[in-house]
Amino acid sequence: MTRQKRSHHKLKRAVAPYLYLSPSLLIIGLLMLLPMVTVIAYSFQNSAVLRRDPSFAGLKHYQAIFDDPVFWASLWHTLYFTCMSVIFHMTIGMVFALMLNSDRINPTLRNILRVLYILPWLFTAVIIAVIWRLLLEPNGVVNSILMQIGIIGSKVEWFSSPETALHAVTFANIWAGYPLFMVSLLAGLQGIPKDFYEAADIDGAKAYQKLIFITIPQLMPIIISISLLDFIWTMQVFPLIWITTGGGPIYSTEVLSTYTYKLAFSSYNLSQASASAVVILLISLGLTLFYIRYQKAR
Amino acid sequence: MAEVVLENICKTYGNNFRAIDQLNLSVEDGEFLILVGPSGCGKSTALRMIAGLEDITSGSLRIGGTDVVDMPPKDRDIAMVFQSYALYPHMTVFENIAFSMRLAGKPKAERKKRVDEIAKTLQLTSLLDSKPANLSGGQRQRVAMGRAMVREPAAFLMDEPLSNLDAKLRVQMRAEITSLQKQLGVTTIYVTHDQTEAMTMGDRVAVLKGGVLQQVDTPKRLYESPVNAFVAGFIGSPSMSLFEATLTGDELMAGAFTIRLQDAAFVRRPGLRSYAGRKVVFGIRPEHLYDSSLQSGRKYQTIPARVTSIEELGSEHIVHLSIDAVRVDSGDPDAVQDFGLASNAVAKFEPVSTVRSGSEIRLALDDAKLHFFDPETHLAI
Repeated sequence: MTRQKRSHHKLKRAVAPYLYLSPSLLIIGLLMLLPMVTVIAYSFQNSAVLRRDPSFAGLKHYQAIFDDPVFWASLWHTLYFTCMSVIFHMTIGMVFALMLNSDRINPTLRNILRVLYILPWLFTAVIIAVIWRLLLEPNGVVNSILMQIGIIGSKVEWFSSPETALHAVTFANIWAGYPLFMVSLLAGLQGIPKDFYEAADIDGAKAYQKLIFITIPQLMPIIISISLLDFIWTMQVFPLIWITTGGGPIYSTEVLSTYTYKLAFSSYNLSQASASAVVILLISLGLTLFYIRYQKAR
Repeated sequence: MAEVVLENICKTYGNNFRAIDQLNLSVEDGEFLILVGPSGCGKSTALRMIAGLEDITSGSLRIGGTDVVDMPPKDRDIAMVFQSYALYPHMTVFENIAFSMRLAGKPKAERKKRVDEIAKTLQLTSLLDSKPANLSGGQRQRVAMGRAMVREPAAFLMDEPLSNLDAKLRVQMRAEITSLQKQLGVTTIYVTHDQTEAMTMGDRVAVLKGGVLQQVDTPKRLYESPVNAFVAGFIGSPSMSLFEATLTGDELMAGAFTIRLQDAAFVRRPGLRSYAGRKVVFGIRPEHLYDSSLQSGRKYQTIPARVTSIEELGSEHIVHLSIDAVRVDSGDPDAVQDFGLASNAVAKFEPVSTVRSGSEIRLALDDAKLHFFDPETHLAI
């Protein structure tokens, strides 16, 4: 083989992997990277999109957002909504997974429960929003039951009262999201060798000790991975809140996604909306990097 | 320390499958008993019943004189070594060994002292901070032993603890476990399907088949005087070759050859005379068959055989043979592997033997070492 031929062969070998990757890289570039860069650019422009020759605005829009109390309220609501959702998704998912994995429950009942517990996962966000709007209506089923058993004295306007609205949407989101945890944890539970529990039985472990010393440490990789993913996804939830409360009443359920949407399509302030979107992007990016580092460490 | 006594133990599963049938076994204080048998014979089930991990359908089980049938595993004063070792991957070697003490709420200083002692005995001191994933198979095995030892139990139960190790390490660990058991003097019940382990490790060996105890005896007596064809076939490697023959006078007629029996054979087995003119099953171990062209084989009578294949192991040759006689199945599923398709007998020849695959030879046999079984019941005569 001549030297020229050899270097040609080397080049071919070096380029081949990138050729295989090129279709997906092209799609990601066009559909994700390009819009992202554009939005970042908009956030530094005055009257972005609306004007043909927008001027450079520096950090003006970021300043405006950080001066806006609604932005800070949205950030707080987003954190509350996300943290509560993740914590309860995990807790409920774990309890149900443990129940479905238990030998003490009759197998037929377990199969029925498995189907019932997974149901919320089958609905789209819009359907979940509609279901919970109907259930939590002042004249809805929830009020009627709670009044009958004496927990509340009068009808509560769950989605329309600033005191309860954020809790109500968070509750609906918890209901919609726990099956992911349940299914993942159940798969994890089924992968824990039975020997571990038998060895613990012989060593004299009680049920709660087996949970603390065996089950939870064994599930930890799943718990951390799914929690981080859930955190990233829940932070960006839009349709559920938009359809149930629209961010109201009086901004009490405003989250970063609805805040950004309103800036863009109600106030047509696309530059500020872009700045807000970049803030969401940075938070998500931070969490994603954390997730990737965790996965690498494993 | 304690003796373990099983009386009429039965285990029946929901689908009426009887895994253990009327098991009676008494393991003396400090004894090393091996439970052995082919896959599915119920040996692991029996061990798990002693541990309390399986319910006992009927019968009584006493450990150290206490009836433990209704006791949970933790109260039976036993420790178990699992086939998989069941080491917790998220805990260090120290934490694994100290786990039962931690559960019992023992103070940290006491845990450290005890674990250090055990680690020293098992040569694990330098590994106490390692996780099981970073240990070799042999080291993991030792950690599993340490976890059992830390509790100072009345009895050790071991469920095929060496089956995950490679052949060389298995030999080494076999010796380690045996000497450790002697050193500690703890009653030990050890389950295995490997009859080499059974023969080399235990004070006594209990052979199980289909949930029924076949024979409990010292390894030597099991080898020399098996009570039935199954035990004869199961104990010894490669397996004993068993054939059908007709006893005529003092001659065994099998296919195209005849084996002359000496008077001693009838003196040792008075019952054999009653089989005159009838069918009988005879068996011979590979080590009692010889190459007639060698010095070792010259003094014995010979029968014709064809060599089907040879495994040269260096120290000996395992020779697979085809002889003109009807082979009898001992009921040991593993024996089929020893014989293969074309052969019906196996012999161990000295490495100086020059027999070649495919050649017709005269096979010398030591007729004093023949075993005889009833053709119907397969019981030893």
